[in-house]
Amino acid sequence: MTTLNKLLDSFHEIASSPKKQLDAYLSEGRKVVACVPVYTPEELIHSMGLVPMGAWGGDIELKESKKYFPAFICSIMQSILELGIRGEYSGISAIVVPSLCDSLKCLGQNWKYAVKDIPFIPVTYPQNRKPDWGKELTKVSYERIIRDLEAATGVIFSQDALARSNKIYNEHNEAMRKLSEVLEQHPSITAVQRRDIFKSAYFMEKEEHTALVCQFMEALSQVVETESKLKVITTGILADSDGLLKIFDEHGLQIVGDDVAHESRQYRIDVNLELEPLEGLADKFSRMDHCSVLYDPEKKRAGYIVDLAKKHKASGVVVLITKFCDPEEFDYVTVKRACGEAGIPVIQIEVDRQIVNYEQAGTMIETFKDMF
Amino acid sequence: MGEGGTKPKFTIDPDSAKFKLNEIVVKHYKEVQEAKDRGEKIGWCASNFPQEIFQTLGIKVCYPENQAAAIAARGAGQRLCEISEAEGYSNDICAYARISLAHMKVGETPEQNMPLPDFVLCCNNICNCMIKWYENISKELGIPMILIDIPFNPDYEVSDAQVAYVRSQFLAAVEQLEEITGKKWSDEKFREVMDISNRTSRAWLEATSYTKYTPSPLNGFDLLNHMAVAVCARGTIDAAEAFETLLEEYKKAVKEGTSTFRAEEKYRIMFEGIACWPHLRATATGLKSRGINMVATIYADAFGFIYDDFDGLIRAYCNVPNAMNLEHARDKREAIVKNTNAEGLLVHTNRSCKLWSGFMYEMSRQIGEDCQIPVTSFDGDQADPRNFSEAQYETRVQGLMEIMETNKGGKD
Ligand code: SF4
Ligand code: SF4
Repeated sequence: MTTLNKLLDSFHEIASSPKKQLDAYLSEGRKVVACVPVYTPEELIHSMGLVPMGAWGGDIELKESKKYFPAFICSIMQSILELGIRGEYSGISAIVVPSLCDSLKCLGQNWKYAVKDIPFIPVTYPQNRKPDWGKELTKVSYERIIRDLEAATGVIFSQDALARSNKIYNEHNEAMRKLSEVLEQHPSITAVQRRDIFKSAYFMEKEEHTALVCQFMEALSQVVETESKLKVITTGILADSDGLLKIFDEHGLQIVGDDVAHESRQYRIDVNLELEPLEGLADKFSRMDHCSVLYDPEKKRAGYIVDLAKKHKASGVVVLITKFCDPEEFDYVTVKRACGEAGIPVIQIEVDRQIVNYEQAGTMIETFKDMF
Repeated sequence: MGEGGTKPKFTIDPDSAKFKLNEIVVKHYKEVQEAKDRGEKIGWCASNFPQEIFQTLGIKVCYPENQAAAIAARGAGQRLCEISEAEGYSNDICAYARISLAHMKVGETPEQNMPLPDFVLCCNNICNCMIKWYENISKELGIPMILIDIPFNPDYEVSDAQVAYVRSQFLAAVEQLEEITGKKWSDEKFREVMDISNRTSRAWLEATSYTKYTPSPLNGFDLLNHMAVAVCARGTIDAAEAFETLLEEYKKAVKEGTSTFRAEEKYRIMFEGIACWPHLRATATGLKSRGINMVATIYADAFGFIYDDFDGLIRAYCNVPNAMNLEHARDKREAIVKNTNAEGLLVHTNRSCKLWSGFMYEMSRQIGEDCQIPVTSFDGDQADPRNFSEAQYETRVQGLMEIMETNKGGKD
């Protein structure tokens, strides 16, 4: 097997078996902290020697979560709670939940009663995050996370360690940004494989992931591409479903860039390493933009997506709306309009962690392709 | 959140609270339209935005939530929702937002009209959905948006850090509004507005507390209408006086043993959630026909802001029901249940409101256990008529009544 295939296999293996990763960390005596979307200050957790692991739910059947959530809450929240109740996270030291949307606020409250043995640590982000007083609230929230983590794990925080973690995360951000650029030149990498690389980042320490991604890019640089596909941009919270991504591959669509929260939205902004480390981390949040859960009165995200499509010469934008995700549902209208004005075709596909059959999406993509 | 007003009927006694309250709502819409016609800049405002700011500045605003409730109560919810849906808004989005965005598009809505805004004032202490909704208005109309961000509080008490953050935003909002409208802030006027707002809130809270009497001097559904005034006119003398009149009427009714609940009050319940405006009659009749009166609602508290000073004001806005953690929200409700001797809890699982319904199952379970009262929920929506089934409502209310009846037997 070539190095490239081996690497793709490892990404796939890690992305599809978070439980195995968790158990491996636990058996090494490591402490693991679950990080719920959309943004958590992983750097803090990492700096304390704890392993941050992303918890974005799973494609599972919902049963127990329905005792807590009504049906009209998104399947990401539902499935995180379901996994928690089922004991899939057992052994984890804490779960960090930001309250960036209404459903996230509810997850934290339900968690306290549904999964009593894993402490809930809230993150209170300011929406007015840019002025100094906004940054101050972010910093105070981070200090609270530190206190809660110290209480839950007995580990002590230090600014020096955070400085190191900030750097490791910046390097990872850079690698992921580069990865996205490199993949644009490689239509042979499928949508499923692309997802695997992004997703695996959530289940391993970032320095390790950076190393793997760099090796992968190196191996990929040897590959001569012969085929070409229809270039598209994806946007949404999550583009995780195998069933859905296979449709991209079957219909010859290549994702040449994304504005997906689970993917590139995480990696756009680095910590300014000149600042005192904790302040630097708070400052990072203040500079984050172009996201449905971050206050954006000018709706700059819509223009951002248009620019992304133009930059990558994409033929169209695929909007993947997570069912019941109101922040994205509101943004969709402005995104659709901005793309329309720029002459960029858009299709909207509703995604849900419970949908297995994306036949209808296939038909939509077929029609979408006919537009070119 | 936010409530609808009713149209005044000329048969009502002009000295009655009902008449005065209705007049306030009518005057409110009229004044904002007149201001707009004079060329003044007017705003659209979230129901729990600190009204002290624009009252002090003498700026006129109107409330999309109140408007949406009124439109829904008058039967046009679906029509407006469909206009937004045609624009690409999902039918899973809060129906108040869908109605409001539709009104923004069409500009005229006969069921409850409102001039288009020159700026929007948003406060997300009730939900983050509000931010997205107002962002879209701001973008679409090309007008400024002012956001006072009050994050959901995961702790029981409001922290000093949160107060400091909200205080800074309050001051920034004043500056922004001065710039937008050219009006000037006066500390003296601010103190006056705070005094009036407290007076209104005290009268409102005291009047609504009269449901503690058995039988209650009022049909709890009355409050749903009066709330429009608590939202839109808290900072005005008219509102203070109207609520004081209401209080006097309730005092008198208790003395004389009368009530606006026109049936024998056999059961007393807490109603959780916003009213189903499109099905107000069906929901009210379902209760009244069984002798069930709604005597407890968190809503009454939601618009009563009592404070001593500026920091107290900020804390009050941080402590609204939808910004509280489960424990705090639960304890508030349990206190109301105990105070009013509510015998059951009827929960509206409101498809529009993710935050309000998203941890209600657990919270209502706890309230039921702690207060030893039965809990039942029904599915509905505060403004989209398509998400409610009268048959389900009837069955659930009947079930609740039967348990309350059995409990009465047990207690005898
Ligand atoms: S998918 Fe949307 S609704 Fe669900 S948690 Fe994420 S941002 Fe909130
Ligand atoms: S989501 Fe809920 S709180 Fe927010 S505007 Fe709609 S009904 Fe009101």
